[in-house]
Order: sequence, then C-alpha cells, then structure tokens
Amino acid sequence: MSNAYIDKFPAEAKVVKAAFYSSFLALALGGVFGVIQTLHRTDIYRFIDSADYYTVLTAHGVFMVITFTIFFLVGVFTWAVTTSLDRGVEDIRFTWSWVGLMTIGTVMAGVAILAGFVDSIDISASVLFTFYAPLQAHPLFYLGLVLFVVGTWVAGADWFRSWWAWKKENPDARIPLPTFMVLTTMIMWYIATMGVATSILVFLLPWSLGWIETVNPLLTRTLFWFFGHPVVYFWLMPAYLLWYTMLPKFAGGKLFSDPLARVGFVLFLLLSTPVGIHHQYLDPGIAEGFKFIAMTNTMFLLLPSFLTAFTVVASIEHGARQRGGTGYFSWLKSLPWRDPVFAGMALAGLLFAAAGFSGMVNAGMNINYLVHNSLWVVGHFHLTVGTAVALTFMAVSYWFIPQVTGKELWNRSVALIQVVLWFIGMTFMTNSMHRAGLIGMPRRTAEPQYTGFEFETAVGSVGELNAQIALGGVLLTLSLVLFFANIIGTAFGSRSDNLPDNGYAEALSGSDDAPRVLDNLKLWTAIAVVLVIIAYSLPLMSIVDRGGLFGPDITAFPANLESVRFLAFAVEHLGTAALESAGTLAWNTLPEVIR
Amino acid sequence: MSQATEEPEQLQEIGHDEYNPIGTLALIGLYFVILVLLWLFVYFVEFLGNDPTVIGAVLTMVGLQ
Amino acid sequence: MNIHTYEKVWLIAALLLIVGFIATITYGSVGLGIAMIDDSEETVEPSELDEDFGEPRVEHVGENEYEAYVIAQTFIFQPDPIEVPANSKVTFYVTSRDVIHSFSVVGTNINTMVIPGEVSTMTAEFDESGEYGIICNEYCGSFHHTMEGQLHVVPEDEFDMTELSVESDDEVELGNETTFNVAVENGMLDDLETTVTFEIGNETTEEEITVSGESTEETTFTVDSTELGEGDHDWTVTVDDYEESGTLTVVEDLEEEEENGGNNDE
Repeated sequence: MSNAYIDKFPAEAKVVKAAFYSSFLALALGGVFGVIQTLHRTDIYRFIDSADYYTVLTAHGVFMVITFTIFFLVGVFTWAVTTSLDRGVEDIRFTWSWVGLMTIGTVMAGVAILAGFVDSIDISASVLFTFYAPLQAHPLFYLGLVLFVVGTWVAGADWFRSWWAWKKENPDARIPLPTFMVLTTMIMWYIATMGVATSILVFLLPWSLGWIETVNPLLTRTLFWFFGHPVVYFWLMPAYLLWYTMLPKFAGGKLFSDPLARVGFVLFLLLSTPVGIHHQYLDPGIAEGFKFIAMTNTMFLLLPSFLTAFTVVASIEHGARQRGGTGYFSWLKSLPWRDPVFAGMALAGLLFAAAGFSGMVNAGMNINYLVHNSLWVVGHFHLTVGTAVALTFMAVSYWFIPQVTGKELWNRSVALIQVVLWFIGMTFMTNSMHRAGLIGMPRRTAEPQYTGFEFETAVGSVGELNAQIALGGVLLTLSLVLFFANIIGTAFGSRSDNLPDNGYAEALSGSDDAPRVLDNLKLWTAIAVVLVIIAYSLPLMSIVDRGGLFGPDITAFPANLESVRFLAFAVEHLGTAALESAGTLAWNTLPEVIR
Repeated sequence: MSQATEEPEQLQEIGHDEYNPIGTLALIGLYFVILVLLWLFVYFVEFLGNDPTVIGAVLTMVGLQ
Repeated sequence: MNIHTYEKVWLIAALLLIVGFIATITYGSVGLGIAMIDDSEETVEPSELDEDFGEPRVEHVGENEYEAYVIAQTFIFQPDPIEVPANSKVTFYVTSRDVIHSFSVVGTNINTMVIPGEVSTMTAEFDESGEYGIICNEYCGSFHHTMEGQLHVVPEDEFDMTELSVESDDEVELGNETTFNVAVENGMLDDLETTVTFEIGNETTEEEITVSGESTEETTFTVDSTELGEGDHDWTVTVDDYEESGTLTVVEDLEEEEENGGNNDE
C-alpha cells in the first residue's frame, strides 16, 4: 500500500482528477486552435477564412487562459488545502457543486464561441478574451462566464470552510503554507472578480439581451482590466505555490524561507488589483496622473516576484548542495534534470525570468507607445501564462496524475522530451514575437502583412520572424501530443502500490519564524480593499462623469440576433421564477428563524 | 517502470545555519546585470530611437494662442 | 523573522531596480516631454460626429503646426492618406464612429486606442519626409486585418493645401459666350501666390492670383464659341500641381431645355 493522495483522500482525489481532466480537454482544444492560428497568421498553411481567424483566436484564448488554467488550479488548490490541513473537504456534494457550475459555464461559453464557425446557427461570440463593447457576444457567452466565475467563488468558499473547521480544532496553529497561499489567492480573486462581475451583470449581459440600449465602452473596458490584470496572478499564484512548496522537494532540498513566501503572497494580494490601468496607458479619457499611479503600483508588484525568484532558486540550490553540488554555478549540474517534473518546472521558471523583463517594459508608462497591442505583448504572455504557468502545470501533472489516479506515469522519457520540446518551442515563438512587436507588428490580426506598406526589420527579416513563430507553434503542438499520449497512457494503466508519498516541501526557515501578523487575513483583506478603492474610485468616477453610466449612443456589433430574443425571454422567465421561489422560501423560513 | 519522481539521492543534510545560497546570489546578480542592460537598450535605443514620439500637447496649445 | 544577508542584498537591489525603472519613465515624461494620451478632450457622440467633430481633415493652425482630425470606423481611417509637411508639428485628434479601434503609425511611437465617445489627442514632430503605414491594432471585427491607412509626410516645399475646382458648361450654342468659374482654395494660413493657367483649343490664358490664408479666390475665364467653332474642345485649368480638365462642345442649336448646362465640378 502506498501513501499517495488517492489512498488518504479517495473522494477528493476524484474531484481533483475531474478538474485536471477538464483542464486537459480545454488544453487540447486550445492547442488545436493555437496551431491553426499560428500557421494561418504566418501564412504558412491556411484552410480557414481570415474572417474566421477571430473565432479561432477567441476559442484559443478562452479555452487556454480561462478553462485550462482555472480548472487545473482549482484541482491544485483542493489538493493543497486537503493535504496541508490534513483533512478532507467538509461536504463532498458541495465540492462537486462548484465543479458542476464551472463545467456548465464552460460548456455554455464554449458553445457560444464555437457556434461562430457555423453560419446556420445565429449564435457567435467572436469577441476575443477581452470582449470589449461595443463588440457584442451572444448572451450565452456572458452567462457561461458568470456561471464559471460563480463556480470559482463557491470553490473558494469550500476551501475557506475547510480552513475555518480546521482552525476550530487548531486555534493556535499557524496556517500551513499551502493553505495560506490558497486563501490569499482566493481573497485576491474575490476582489478582482468584482470588476468583471459588475461589467457583465450590470452592463454587458442586460445589453446583449436587449434590456438596455447602450453601454459605456470605456467603463466596461476599465472594469474588465480591473479583473484582467489580477486574473494573470490568479493563473500565476498556483504556479508559485508549486514552485514554493513542491519544487524544492523535487530538487532534493527544502524551502529556503516560509516567512518570505508568506510575505510574497500578501504582497500579491495587496498589489495585484490596483494596477489594471496599466493595460490602458493608451486609452483616451483617463488622466495621465491615474496612469502614473497605476505604473508605480505595477512596478512595486515586481517585488514579490523578485523575492520569489531568490527564495525559489535558493531552495533549489539547497537541493543541489545536499546532492553534492559545489561552486558558484556548477551546483546546477547536480540537479535532477532527468526528472521531467523538476526539469519542466525549472525550465518554466527560467523562461519566466525572461518574461520578467518584457513585463517590466509593459509596466512602463510612456514606453507603452512602443509595445502596446503589438506582438511583443503576445510574446510576453506566452512566456508567463503560456510557459511559467502552462509548463509548470504540465510538468507537475506527471507527479499529480499518479497521485490522484493511483497509477504510475506511463513513460518518463516521453515526459522529459515533452517538457524540453515545450521550452524550445516557446523560445522560438516568443523571442520572434518580441522582436516582431518592436518593429510594430500588431497582435490579434489574421494577416502577416498589409497592402500599403511593409514592416522593416533592422536585423533578420519578416519572413524569418514568421518562420520562427510557426516553427515554435509546431513544436508546441508536438509537445502537446506527447503530453496527451502520456496522460492517456497513464489513465489506461493499472493501479500501482509503488507511488511516491503525497506531501510537500519542508522549510529551512519555518513558519515559527514568521510574524503572526502575516496570518491576519482580515487585516490584509482590508488593506487590499482600501488600495483598490484609492486606485480605482477616482478614475471610475471620472469615466462615468465623462461618458455617462450607459455611455454614448452606440450600436452593438454584430447586430442583435434572433436567438437572443428567445434567450432574453427564458432568462427573464427563469429570473422571475427564481425570485418568486426565493421569496416564497424566505416567507416560509422567516417565521422559523424569528421563532 | 519507474516512478514519476524518484526520491533524489541525498548525500548530505544541510541545515539552516550552515547554508549560504551563494550560487543563487551569483545567478541572480547575473540576472540583475542582464535586466539593467536590456532595460537601457529597450528604453534608450528601441523606444527613443523609434521617433516620432508623442510630445506634450499642452505646449502646442500654448504655442497656438 | 530573519532574512538571509544575501536575500537582503537582493531585496535592496530589486528595490533600486524598481526605483530606477520609475525614474527612467519619469525622465521620459518630464525631461523629454513625452506625454500620455489623457482626458483633455471633451467627449463626443459617435452618431453625431459631423457636429461634434467635423469632417475628417487636416488643418493648418500655426507656423509649421497642423491638426489632423481622423475618424476610425470599420474598416477604414479617414482621411486617407493623411498629408502633412516635413518639419512640422502635428496634433492628431482621433475618434471612432463605431467600435474600439486603434490608430497606430507603424515604426513610430504614435499609437493610441480609439474609443467611441472619446477623442484621443497626441502631438508629434515630423522632421523628415517619409511615408508611414497606419494600422488598427485592436480587433474590431471580421475584416480587422484590412484596416489600414497612410500617413504621408511630404517635403516642405512640395506641401500645400490647395484645392482647385472648376464650374463650366458642357455645351454652348455657337455664337454665345460661356464662362469657366475657377475656385482656388488655400487651406494654409499664409497667402498663396500662384498662376491659374487656362487652356482651350490652342489658346492659353494665364492669370496671377493671390489667395489669402484659409480662404478661396475665384476667377473667371470667358470663352467666345465663335472663335472655337463647332465641335468638341478639350480644356485644362492648371494651378501649381493641380489640374482640372474637360470638354466643351459647341453646337449649332442648343436643345430646347434652357440652362441645361451641367457642371463639371470635381
């Protein structure tokens, strides 16, 4: 009998497994659209219309950065909370309810997007991941997103519930580090999603259903970015959690400092949200002063990442030294590079260091004129979410999947090749995207060239840049194929008793060493809310004052569709029914409560 | 078949007080230098060399009067 | 909480780096005068741009100073091309008639989001002549990839904002006189001294005119059809590099409809 996660938490392992498999399905779909896109845009191989490119792009974006990342992270978070508190979830039906909500949400949004390929269905949502009004998606898309986000809220409540129950039994104990990380990340997520929830529920969904005539495009855009920057930390935090709590273990060492890991997560909670305006440096209608404040906050948000870089590398080095490593640099050779889990996560971290640089440029206010909406930005986030997050998730899956299925990994060598291929593919793709961005090549367009002018490169050529992007895309696709082969191979394997123990890395400098105030989540939440209010109240008031709550007289694109009317009727009907039944329920229960 | 992660072979136990992450300091020092050089290059060569650049409209408005 | 000395060193270095980045950007803003797109412009109604914003156009507003009023809409920019002289300071006012676009001059740092209801304004100096592509780099619909325009910075001595238009009859009855009304519009602030050259048949007439800044000067050429004789006669009006031309037909009897002279106005 082994001591894997599934042995201790069989019911929870099923939830985590379901979350992982859902995320892998999204990864597969996202990957298919990714390769179609990379070959089309570089004009190497095309079989779709350029007009359909944007449907492909929407699908790639939403499946990758919403479904793949978030489904995976809810799996990791469930594992982290149950493992580190050493207790199962409070109510497994409650846990399945949020898995269900997220799944229904994904299916609705996915159907709305994919229906864009079928002309005979008048449903579409080719609005890209950012869904800027006045571009309008079918209401099904917005409803799907709402259900998905509500699912994550319920998931967060589930983890908080576990922690509260645990705290009652352990009143004086420090919050175990993985749980601490989950809770701070979720508080950040609750604050951040207020922006997108307001944008969708108050403006975009009623607008798409035809209940309100117009929206203020700058307002919904600003509310999107209120959520749009912290969402990248929502993807990144689970990767950080894995780097802090798992990578030292895989390297054969211990976490260098538990207190600094907590400091890092507290800083992310405080600073992730009041920075969204740095995505709007080039927006009219927002004063330069607000942009400067957003920049200052963004620059200081680098600090927890710099801190993480040191702490994580020092933890890895600790492993290398324990394995006999010596010297200033030669200790690197003592690391377990043949282990796909370690190698994948370490390579992900290496490319994240490169992403750090392009992120600093993105954070800069006036230099944004150079890179805004260019391929540079695409290069940047393929290093962050596309590698730091995605490669870490894939690599750690080689450890997790055996833990939650109880089956041994199908093939370690294939796994090692897979993570290395991803690293090489991303290196080709992103270095050329950064360079292409510097010469002004835009993101989010179906064509590599325009008719009236040509892009000019100082070094190399446009053809070479496109070739590198396409080559990178092909290598990434190959890497995905190997990944799925391994996951499927493992899933069809048989139960094994020879699995590594479940657990996470110990710390050299433990939580006893961390000031107790770090665990005061109420305090940090309060400060985070105050910072958000300071950063956003004046800009939002100014935007509403200028353009009005519902904006100028604008027309939705594309124009309203037939099926919307049915849905509008259905939603209205259901909404009324729900309100009625809620009212009846309240009416019936109120006397009991009073009694 | 081997395991996903074999227990790394550990030769020695290094405690908190006897561990100095000098390798990390060296690596991150190198990273610092690269960051500074790249920043200077991208800001002063790529960005400022990419004229024309947007300049203060306020100055122009004054000039118009 | 004890923090290892090396990590303290790194924390200080990281803070210095952060402060250094902010300092560089501040130097760009304060020292070099790089301004951000901001909220200095009044909002407009996208459905009433004619009143709120006016025609897409370039205006000469001061010595070497121009203003370009640009409207972005699916999937074009107007005016296209935008023409300005070298050695000039140009302020762009850009707004959208429909969805969110961008106005990005490729290979330069002139780049802004264009949001319906808002006007993006930015000033740039063009020291040398050249041709730039303008693209929309924010997804705006199925044909987003076709949305492009041109910015032509022409050599200073080749630049003018002259517009020539000619009104004339197509047909004239033999023996009658007909007139060619020539209007020369000068969009620049300075006076324009030039020559209007009128050619018809083998005859050439020249007239020196002075068009004051931001105004239109009209002049008339009268032709006696008897001298031309029956038949088609090609004519040309030339002012600097601008040319208008057409054909005058001299007929024996004009049809019964009176005042049927179409105009040849472009």
